Amino acid sequence: MASNDMIKLVTRAPASRRQFLIGAGTALAGMTLGAPAIAQSKELTIISNIGNASQREVLQRIASAYEKESGVKVAINNMDHEAHKTAIRSYLVVGAPDICFWFSGNRMKAFVQRELFDDISDLFARENYKSVLGPAAGAVTVDGRQYGLPLGGLLWGLFYRKDVFEEKGWTPPKRLEDLLTLGEKAKSAGMIPVSMGTKEMWPAAGWFDHMNLRINGLDKHMALMDGKMSYTDPAMLPVFDKWAELINAGLFSPNGTSFGWEQAAAALAQKKAAMMDLAGFIKYGFPESQQDQIAFAPFPEIIQGMARYEDFALNSIHVPKNAKNKENARDFLAYFYKPDNLAAFLETESAVPPRNDCPPSKDPLVNAAVESLKTVEGSAQYYDRDTDPDMAQEGLKGFQEFMAKPDRRDQILERLETTRKRIFKA
Amino acid sequence: MSTFWRNHRHWMAPTLFIMPGALLFAVVIILASAQTIWVSFFDWDGVGAKQWVGLANYAQLLDDPQFHVSLKNNLIWLAMFMLAPPLGLALALLLNQPIRGMRVMKSLFFVPLVLASVTVGVVFTWVYDPTFGLLSLIFSSFGATAPALLSDEHFVTFAVVVAALWPQVAFCLVLFLAGLNNLSEDLIGAGRVDGARGWPMLIHVILPQLREVSFIALAVTVIGALRSFDMVAVMTSGGPFGSSTVLAYQMYEQSIFSYRFGYGAAIATVLFVIMAVFIAWYLHTLLKPEREGV
Amino acid sequence: MYPRPLADDAPFRRFAYTSMVVLILALWLVPLMAVMATSLRSFEEVMAGNYWGWPKSFNFIENYMAVFTQTAMARYFLNSLIVTLPSVFGVLVLSTLTGYVLSRYRFRGASLMFALFVGGNFLPAQIMMIPVRDLMVSIGLYDTYYALIVFHVAFQTGFATLFMRNFIAALPDELFQAARAEGASPWQTLWHVVLPLIRPALAALAILTFTFVWNDYFWAIVLTQSDAVKPVTAGLNNLRGEWVSAWNLVAAATILVAIPPVVMFFLMQRHFIAGLTVGAVKG
Repeated sequence: MASNDMIKLVTRAPASRRQFLIGAGTALAGMTLGAPAIAQSKELTIISNIGNASQREVLQRIASAYEKESGVKVAINNMDHEAHKTAIRSYLVVGAPDICFWFSGNRMKAFVQRELFDDISDLFARENYKSVLGPAAGAVTVDGRQYGLPLGGLLWGLFYRKDVFEEKGWTPPKRLEDLLTLGEKAKSAGMIPVSMGTKEMWPAAGWFDHMNLRINGLDKHMALMDGKMSYTDPAMLPVFDKWAELINAGLFSPNGTSFGWEQAAAALAQKKAAMMDLAGFIKYGFPESQQDQIAFAPFPEIIQGMARYEDFALNSIHVPKNAKNKENARDFLAYFYKPDNLAAFLETESAVPPRNDCPPSKDPLVNAAVESLKTVEGSAQYYDRDTDPDMAQEGLKGFQEFMAKPDRRDQILERLETTRKRIFKA
Repeated sequence: MSTFWRNHRHWMAPTLFIMPGALLFAVVIILASAQTIWVSFFDWDGVGAKQWVGLANYAQLLDDPQFHVSLKNNLIWLAMFMLAPPLGLALALLLNQPIRGMRVMKSLFFVPLVLASVTVGVVFTWVYDPTFGLLSLIFSSFGATAPALLSDEHFVTFAVVVAALWPQVAFCLVLFLAGLNNLSEDLIGAGRVDGARGWPMLIHVILPQLREVSFIALAVTVIGALRSFDMVAVMTSGGPFGSSTVLAYQMYEQSIFSYRFGYGAAIATVLFVIMAVFIAWYLHTLLKPEREGV
Repeated sequence: MYPRPLADDAPFRRFAYTSMVVLILALWLVPLMAVMATSLRSFEEVMAGNYWGWPKSFNFIENYMAVFTQTAMARYFLNSLIVTLPSVFGVLVLSTLTGYVLSRYRFRGASLMFALFVGGNFLPAQIMMIPVRDLMVSIGLYDTYYALIVFHVAFQTGFATLFMRNFIAALPDELFQAARAEGASPWQTLWHVVLPLIRPALAALAILTFTFVWNDYFWAIVLTQSDAVKPVTAGLNNLRGEWVSAWNLVAAATILVAIPPVVMFFLMQRHFIAGLTVGAVKG
């Protein structure tokens, strides 16, 4: 039987042999192509995690202009935003680029403590950045030294469609009660009051930040972030009670864990939802022609008289400690950070420029954020940027679970407390 | 030299033949895995210095509710994946007919096998989407509302496994078609003479001849179940709130997002131990007839 | 043949049977057809949530051109080929050698060695992530094509050895006895006796390995970082981030990524089935 088959196989052999040889030939050709590019003497590599196409374009344009001016060859490698979070832990240790993008605050500090970001205080002094940056410089400062340049600031708050609110005669909620009333109106209009997609987990944490900042204030919030306050502290209860009230009132998208934030933003764009809690990049979910309809309102007040504290997250750009061309990197950063270049780069994501000498923005979203920031008395960044990354992972998961199952509050807080004790050795 | 070679080639040639593959495999795969087991005894953030903690990581695992969820999900994956070989066989029996156009149809049935898991994951998220998904369209045509499978902590793992079964069944189908191609006509003829048909024929005459193929199908299915990482990462990222996490994903999450490489390594080691049980059984069964045959 | 072939003289039954198979096939491929249809849709249609209906407009050229003009997809494609083809070639060579030795020579530790090959193949990739990355760094291959090629060859050799060993073990003993009687060296036996007989197996293995390596995403992000070497799966995910909700373009890119393995499969399908067959039948 088997030998019978063998004969069949042998008679078929010529075709498969031919196929095989073609394969092998191509494979060999591949081998020679496979050699890595040889480094040129003056070059600069950048790893970008920018997802948005137009922002990538601006970066490329700035890089090309710099190339012409300096004669340094600039190579930009783009990475998917999420994949980049994985990759950066590899490349900072081995094969670092000359420049990379990351997040300021605690997430930057994690790499500074492991000596993976270069101290660029010299660049700060040379270019006199402190005089134009103001408080934003603090986000990239550890023990008085600077380890990166702050990029655009994202002010978090509620977004809505002007045309919808006008048509229905609604006004953005000033207090939590207004939010509940507005929620009822939206529901009777057949809309979801607050669009919320927690598939990537972090959007739920933004809501937590707002509630905690409004109820407990900035100092207690930061104590929690730094692991100095317990998750089972009685001060946490009103936050989760109020939040549960909103959840049980049906304020948020049903099955929120099924959607990513883009889908949630699209629901707002399509007038299926009335509001959404995000930052200026919400516009990515809107068709370009409708982006002028987006309007911003601060998160409503909860405790009367509490000073206004907000999440204001700053992305940042860094020189890895293991970069090969640190001088070129500084040179490029100085060029990139010129007011015009920086403003053009930030315009695409409607982020607030950290420099006070950037040309005034034509983007209404940026101007609304700048205007709103004037009454902000202090800011945190965002849950997963403010606390330890290990803690953040558990926290995000916990908030996601709370939004789906508010009755599990005690279990969730218990679990977060266990994690906090482990991480902060409390 | 040449006499030396001739005298010794009976063992030197095979040694030379096996060396490149064995060395490469040992250095890259075996050594790397052993290193991971070693790391599981340390507290390590992946960058700085390692600190010896003995079995502390394993002790922590026992109290970690997420670990229990992952373990349970891994078992669900394994159990449900066992559907792939019988489904593949059923499809193979259906397709093993000399009808015009059958060759093209067979090829089309194979297509899911060659799709990247990113693709399969994306497609099935569309199927399950509670607002515009295929499932919700079907439900609403009956006037009902579809459950949001990927948001439900009880259903989510099953939903992901169903998606993963799609290419896996195609894989088993391919293997069984190959097996059916090579059945012994003599035995089938003898069976028919004895009046065997239907189930008895399948069970007593056909399946024994498909033993080797079934074995490979089982192997690729178990491998598939344990490589569940991609589908989980693409479809749910382990959510909602960790309820669809499997060991491979939890290990990744702990190492990458929480900087706990030692802990992640401990999870990987547990996965490895579970696997080792299966590998041992598999090899035992695979090699037994040969040992007896000698 | 089993099941018993449908009778030639029952045209109605044959027709009914074919219709049933076509129906099942249609259901089987519904998810894939949704991707294809979506790759033709306009952005507005996707925003409106039409994923399953007939496309309202056909944007074949726009969408597929956008994939190539707006992104480095062409580069990623080339990278994937440069990684995949040598990997497949390397796996075939190494596993033929290991499979031949493990099936035809009895020596101490043979079973253990085989067990390691098979066992390693069952390992989840994540377990090796950090050590493999460090290894590639220390030998200077990190972020080059070689890093991916070396890893894929090593890893796939496990499965391939299992496959080739079974296949070669199924070849009749008489062939090898005859070769030995004629004084053929091991090399000659391999080259003149084994190789001609295992071509179908090589074809089958080539397709499987091609598919596995081509579709790999995990190692692509662990071992590479530059666009110059990044394979197409990493590129595809890159697009998912870039075109936040432009699922029509993502779908087009997805289809493009799937084309090479599908084509490869169709071209070699005959050999593929034949190759899988023989290993399964013994004596």
